[in-house]
Amino acid sequence: MGSLGASQFVDLLVGGIAVGCVYSLVALGFAMIMRATSIIHFAQGELMMLGAMCGLTSLWLLPVLPLILVVAVGMVSSGIIAVMMELFVYRTLRRRRVPIMNIITATVGMSILCINAARIIWGSEPLRFPELFATTAYEFGGVRISPQLFWIMVMAVAIMGGLQLFLKLTRSGIAMQAVAQDPEAAQLMGANLTRMMAYTFAISGMMAGAAGIMLGSMFFAFFEMGFITGLKAFVAATLGGLGSIAGAMLGGILFGLIETFSTVFLSSAYKDAIGMILLIAILLVLPSGLVGLWQRRR
Amino acid sequence: MTISPDPAAARIGATRWVTLLAVAALIVLPWLEADRFVLHVFSLIAIASIVAMGLQLLLGCSGQLSIGQAAFYGIGAYTSALLTTKLGLPFPLALLGAGIVAAVASLLMVPITRLTGAYLAVATLGFSIIVYLVIKNEEWLTGGSYGFISIPRAALFGFVLRDPMYSYYVNVGVAAIVYLTFVRIQGSRFGRAVNAIREDPDAARACGLRVTLLKSECFVIAAFVAGLAGSLYAHEVRYLAPNDFTFWKSIEILIMVVIGGVGSLAGAILGAAVVVGLPEFLRGIGDYRMLVFGAILIATMLFGEGGLAAICTTLGRRLGGLVTRLTPKPAGTNESVQ
Amino acid sequence: MRTGSAHEPWLLEARSLTRRFGGLLAVDGVDLSVGRGSVHGLIGPNGAGKTTLLNLVAGVYGVSSGTLHFGARDITRYSTAKRARAGIRRTFQNLKLFGEMTALENVALGLHADTCSGFFDAVLGTPRHRREERDIRDRSMEALRFVGLGGIAAMRAGALAYGHRRLLEIARAIVARPALLLLDEPAAGLNVNEAAHVSELIARIRDAGTTVILVEHHMDVVMRVSDEITVLNYGRRLAHGTPTQIQEDPDVIEAYLGRSLENESAQA
Repeated sequence: MGSLGASQFVDLLVGGIAVGCVYSLVALGFAMIMRATSIIHFAQGELMMLGAMCGLTSLWLLPVLPLILVVAVGMVSSGIIAVMMELFVYRTLRRRRVPIMNIITATVGMSILCINAARIIWGSEPLRFPELFATTAYEFGGVRISPQLFWIMVMAVAIMGGLQLFLKLTRSGIAMQAVAQDPEAAQLMGANLTRMMAYTFAISGMMAGAAGIMLGSMFFAFFEMGFITGLKAFVAATLGGLGSIAGAMLGGILFGLIETFSTVFLSSAYKDAIGMILLIAILLVLPSGLVGLWQRRR
Repeated sequence: MTISPDPAAARIGATRWVTLLAVAALIVLPWLEADRFVLHVFSLIAIASIVAMGLQLLLGCSGQLSIGQAAFYGIGAYTSALLTTKLGLPFPLALLGAGIVAAVASLLMVPITRLTGAYLAVATLGFSIIVYLVIKNEEWLTGGSYGFISIPRAALFGFVLRDPMYSYYVNVGVAAIVYLTFVRIQGSRFGRAVNAIREDPDAARACGLRVTLLKSECFVIAAFVAGLAGSLYAHEVRYLAPNDFTFWKSIEILIMVVIGGVGSLAGAILGAAVVVGLPEFLRGIGDYRMLVFGAILIATMLFGEGGLAAICTTLGRRLGGLVTRLTPKPAGTNESVQ
Repeated sequence: MRTGSAHEPWLLEARSLTRRFGGLLAVDGVDLSVGRGSVHGLIGPNGAGKTTLLNLVAGVYGVSSGTLHFGARDITRYSTAKRARAGIRRTFQNLKLFGEMTALENVALGLHADTCSGFFDAVLGTPRHRREERDIRDRSMEALRFVGLGGIAAMRAGALAYGHRRLLEIARAIVARPALLLLDEPAAGLNVNEAAHVSELIARIRDAGTTVILVEHHMDVVMRVSDEITVLNYGRRLAHGTPTQIQEDPDVIEAYLGRSLENESAQA
């Protein structure tokens, strides 16, 4: 407590943005799925956790694996799992025109399934990632940043940037956006609904998988890591404006900063409570998020 | 007398026999079953079913998905423990106090009842996490992670209920009272209003119903009931730890209601029996418990949400049909409509 | 045409009602005065803003500007439920019944605001509870018989035929004897006989003392039963007057693209 030194401030800032990037990636998944299907995907955090676990497992099998490939493994495995969830469960539920609350309950069930499967496969102990980054700090004009946080931020920005390019410039990306806005019209224009939904889940999974590797390497991986982080990413997505992709990215970083800086004032035991209180406050006061606020001002 | 002679009432005729049989069986059980462990498990099932019935009121009747009931369960448990140990209050007062404190705490949720659907669900989850953190961190009050120990057994008028058989009757008795209470409100003005806001809140508003007020009332009732259950739990197991009241507990309660069948009170009891009873009676399932329940949750959503209650009703109807076809009918039976 | 008592000629008075949706002006400065004990028709081509206007009166949408007076009260800021309790009831274009409840229970909900026994009354079975339940049952049956549905009180609302569901929604709306009844296309999807029954029902509702605002596309229903008609086009009031005046109004005829209006009134 008390006043903040300059370097302490920078540390908090960098740390906040880095963890915020992680939240952004998961929040993006929430936003995309929400836009396409109107459901809150409770198992999103678990996709992140499974990405972390699979990436870690690949490192156990091939310790010399470079960082890029580890991230790729995480992304691909989460992407595949997400697509399987969609194809085997969610799509069937939608086809049966089951009420939305039931689909959401099913995602809760999926979340429980994933968490407990992970516990059985990988055990309940937290698992450390081996050193993936250099240890000496980088220096930028007098400011020192740990390489880990630096590369995490770079990767996250690259992935999010890549996503934006994909959505705006490729046929599939544009088709996905069309499907999210108006599924029937998009279908009439030739978009394959099933494939687009699968892509949506695949991309959301991939984002989450990357986030899992990053978070896992920053702290550690364990079977329950997806639950509370997923919940916080949901808060971030809501803060930015649920259903908005830009909002998810903005909300994630903002939430990361809020959470990190609040540990200065609050005991770390209640750190998770910040997110929950913020969530309830947003839902009550500003349900359409910051993006909604911005749109209203126009 | 109520004005709701719905088609389900015909079902009640048949299930009245089933209910009477079940009640008789429950009363007689302790005399037949000497194993105190079994009675203890039934007590736990009864306690869980109380919380589940409260959630049923929220979810099945008023249509509000709350994944935060464990918060009120925990508040009730710790309140009762505190009232009996620190203040020396007798058990019946502590039981009531637990319910009241939980109900008052639920008033904090009143602003949240404005929300709907998944947003409400997430808000209740957030609330439940906050309560869990408070329970875990405020050691001076709750003992924190060290737990709350040496909670006295339930005692009625100075008579300590040492034998599990006596606490069994108390727990099952309270569960029965809660069940009867909720059954009674079904055909009433309150019950109709609650069902209306689930089916179509806009139409309900057009009839002049105060939707948010009704939703809040349901929350308070469900919280009170969860608080009662928490108190019973505290005096049954006599040791409380924060890990008993995490969001996992809230999700377990949801599983009970979903497995049993959303909208069915008896289903909540069946669901509680499965979720609490199965792991106790099938020790092998232990580790895989939640995995199985997660899968059942998904399966129930995929294959029809009637849950166990619907399965039982269908079985009952088929059996009843069979019986009707086999027995000769008296002449001139006519089902009057109104 | 009855226009009401001396000190409050209009039961409902809307002044310069406007409602925007983003850039779209759905209702643009509409004035509407509805006299007590009258049936006021609201017609116009598709997209003219009739249902939006009705929803503004019902409180489903808030006004972007303008005022709304109900009797002596300014209800512009009232919520839907508050207006319902004040005596404004409605039916819905797309039928919003409580499908899983019986017809009787649906109508009973119309009386919720008139009664007050709550959770504890129900649990304890107090005399007040029993008295109110009896009262609700009697009045609900009366409303069902009034619309012609006396025989199906115990049937599940979702299982009823379409025409009966329309009548049921009206029964639910009138059971509390509201001062003002808003009907949103009550004859939609009905055949000629059913539509005629609805016209006759609306007339009986008016004669029983309820004022009615009627949005309808069935011209024979509107022309037959309305005392006064307001025509909307592009969100603005195009014309208002008696049915005869409206049928002869050249602007109205033009808005509906020619002779169709004359033909329909000739058949009515």
